[in-house]
Amino acid sequence: MKELSLNILDIAENSLKAGALLTEISIIEDDKTLVLTIADDGCGMTQQVLKTAADPFYTTRTTRKVGMGISLLKLEAEMTGGSFNIESRHISDYPQDHGTKVTAKFYKNHIDCIPLGDAVASITTLIQGHPDSDFVFFHKTGDKEVHLDTRELRTVLEGVPLNTYEVIKWIEEYLKDQYK
Amino acid sequence: MTVGKLSGTEFFAPVVITEPNREIDGVYIGDLLSWVMGRASSGNAWITIMSNVNILAVASLADTACIILAENVALEQDVIETAKQKNINIISSPVGMYETAVMLSTLL
Repeated sequence: MKELSLNILDIAENSLKAGALLTEISIIEDDKTLVLTIADDGCGMTQQVLKTAADPFYTTRTTRKVGMGISLLKLEAEMTGGSFNIESRHISDYPQDHGTKVTAKFYKNHIDCIPLGDAVASITTLIQGHPDSDFVFFHKTGDKEVHLDTRELRTVLEGVPLNTYEVIKWIEEYLKDQYK
Repeated sequence: MTVGKLSGTEFFAPVVITEPNREIDGVYIGDLLSWVMGRASSGNAWITIMSNVNILAVASLADTACIILAENVALEQDVIETAKQKNINIISSPVGMYETAVMLSTLL
């Protein structure tokens, strides 16, 4: 995809489709690398499904026979000399501790490394579209850290939905301020 | 022009041809797979230099008539095998994407 933030949206939507109550998105950068991790507590995948997850011809959708999100992220990471990993625990095997974790490592100075793009827009889009799910966003660059946890917001909001216009606007500003 | 006929011209070389009678009715050029996926039209010949297995999925999704690999880009054997299984036509071109497109415009 043109920007990594679009990949984040795409992968996180898989988490939500898997019934995730909490999706944790973290971006950890140093001088050379960017590591993106998306971890959820959704229903997870069986070992059999997990094996096919990075196969571009596999999808859980029935409307088409190929699903590309995971495959593209893997390709994009590997194109920079980086790596890709996906682990999953299916609810049938791990009734208490299920979910999926996707990790992609990028080498930022590789010429084919795609830009991160607008991560704030991706996070607010996710919250707006799924106000009943919780999200943790963490972005560390050198000594700068950006952090958001919707569970903390909920305790303050006392029942006001997260996708209320004012709340979404506040989240957007809150994240942008931390990037300053 | 059909894919079979195009792959038989002097300029191009067949790599995998499973549906030779597929008619080509346009051309799309691009290497960013997610972009191509949403923009290449059904029946297009898609010119690219990408060679990983994902190009087959993109071609399948967009229902392109064939993939044309520019600049003699070679495919790994497992990609070729998957293309055969998934009925994806692939043709090779010895020159760059622009020259390939110019050649197509004289032939189509």
